[in-house]
Amino acid sequence: MTTPLEVGRLLRANTNGFVAGCRVSKLGAPAFGALVRVPLPSGEEIYGLIYNIQIADDGLVRQLVTSENVSEEVMRDNRERRIVPVEMSVLSIGYAQNGRLYYLLPPRPPLSLDVIYLCDAAEVRRFTSGNFGYFRHILRAANNLPMAELLAAHLLQAAPTHADQQDWLKKAIQEIIVLLRDDYSNLMAVLNALREVIF
Amino acid sequence: MPINYQQVYSQIRAIGAEAQMHGQALKAQRERARQLLEAFAEQTAWLRERLEEARRVYPDLRCAIPLEEPLNARHPLPNLEVNYTLLAADGSQIAPDRHAMVLFGLVNIGIICMRRGSGKTPETFTESHLLFDKDLYTEDGHLLNESLLAMQRDLRERALLAEMARQAEKPAIALTDGPLELWGLKEAESTDSYRRALEQYLHILKELRGENVIPAGYVDKPMANLVVRLLEIADLPQDALKDLKEHYPLRGVSDRWLFGERGRPLLRAGERSAVFGLQSRSRQFYREEIALHFFYLNVGDDQHPWPVRVEVPAWVARDRAMLDRLHVALVEQCRMMGARPFPYLLHRAHEIALVSRDEKSQIETMLAIELRGQGQEVDESSAKQTAKEGIRR
Repeated sequence: MTTPLEVGRLLRANTNGFVAGCRVSKLGAPAFGALVRVPLPSGEEIYGLIYNIQIADDGLVRQLVTSENVSEEVMRDNRERRIVPVEMSVLSIGYAQNGRLYYLLPPRPPLSLDVIYLCDAAEVRRFTSGNFGYFRHILRAANNLPMAELLAAHLLQAAPTHADQQDWLKKAIQEIIVLLRDDYSNLMAVLNALREVIF
Repeated sequence: MPINYQQVYSQIRAIGAEAQMHGQALKAQRERARQLLEAFAEQTAWLRERLEEARRVYPDLRCAIPLEEPLNARHPLPNLEVNYTLLAADGSQIAPDRHAMVLFGLVNIGIICMRRGSGKTPETFTESHLLFDKDLYTEDGHLLNESLLAMQRDLRERALLAEMARQAEKPAIALTDGPLELWGLKEAESTDSYRRALEQYLHILKELRGENVIPAGYVDKPMANLVVRLLEIADLPQDALKDLKEHYPLRGVSDRWLFGERGRPLLRAGERSAVFGLQSRSRQFYREEIALHFFYLNVGDDQHPWPVRVEVPAWVARDRAMLDRLHVALVEQCRMMGARPFPYLLHRAHEIALVSRDEKSQIETMLAIELRGQGQEVDESSAKQTAKEGIRR
């Protein structure tokens, strides 16, 4: 069994989602659209999709960008030693309780400093093997996040974890079409983004 | 109402009215300072003799001592390979506060070490020393005040810096914010604790000499008139030396202006001045190899000159290779910070060492919890403190 990959710790949360922080040096792991999980002390696990990654600045960084010469050592110092966290916004899309997965919002949000792990291929496959009920959380948040891009990124990362990759993709896209059948503009935006995934 | 703006505004208007007159006088003084600098630039031997006489009249005299090179000498930025270790230290402190729940103090030191040219991540180090119970009092029973605590902080900062510099790959530069001289209030200088601290500090400097480290004190926006004061003394008639203490014809003209006049700076971008010795009351302590010296360095550009004072001990002042190394390192560090030049590493040391108000409050709470847990009595914050905090909220 591989060691779970820690991508950050919780900064703030509500029922719909949460924001995690990590050092810039850890930014190699999380990616836009990645599935993450937060184990709670009560045994539940909250699942979510990263829909925004924000690099914060501060006075020193603003000053350094105006300089013509930023040495390698200064760059490393800022990325590895300074307290300027990277913020990752995560949309809650389900949770696990007593070994069972629910595509519902979690009963309670995670707490400050809870650890956020990146889901490995087996966990992504397990979470995405159901009936795509979690898509509705993404569609519901369409006004607050780049929905089409998020769906495309998610499918691009989740499909290879399934043995019948093409079949899984086809079913996922059919589900999206059904859910967006009355929303032509969003449907077209999603299909345009999905073109990158399919071809 | 926190400020009576009506009163303040009238006072500001009065200041403004006087400013024009003051400005004209200052312009004449500045012109005179420039003339004197040119006139006495080469007369360094005569100036040293003159200073010797002045020191006999006024031993506390604080000014520049010219060495062999002309007063207005300029040294361009040397073309050296960027390959050195730079260490910077800074400290902050929490002074004991009788209004707080628990009486405690803290000295926090931040150090950062960067090996330039290595491409490696700099190493950072923090030391936090909590002061409690008898640590908080002087030998004569007085509670430590800000200046005594600042002296402890400076000493610890330099001791740690020296320790790290010893282990660092050479050539190594050890940078501190402010003068190299250990600072103490005049009244504190006669105390045993100051004398002991000074003794330790002189020992640290001598150790650094043994390790071939380049220690430097970086004084940003210096207010001193060390070179200007030398010019005042030079211009004083021989028979008027006895009036030295009252003789300040160039008061208001700073060295910073003299070396970095906006529009026509004496020092162009990246240039440093001649090295001067430092004549001050403390000269009796800093002798021979550790005698204090300084130079001015324009870390700004020609349009916006920004002269800073850099203090070094004698062994650095006498070694051209060390001076050049320090010169290059400081200009490079300052240029990293863009339009507001200041050594990057000193800023980082400050950032590491800084203790915030929240952190102070956290330490106080932790101490109170521990003491209560041990069944000890813990006092309350003073009523005055509580009321003040209420205003802040």
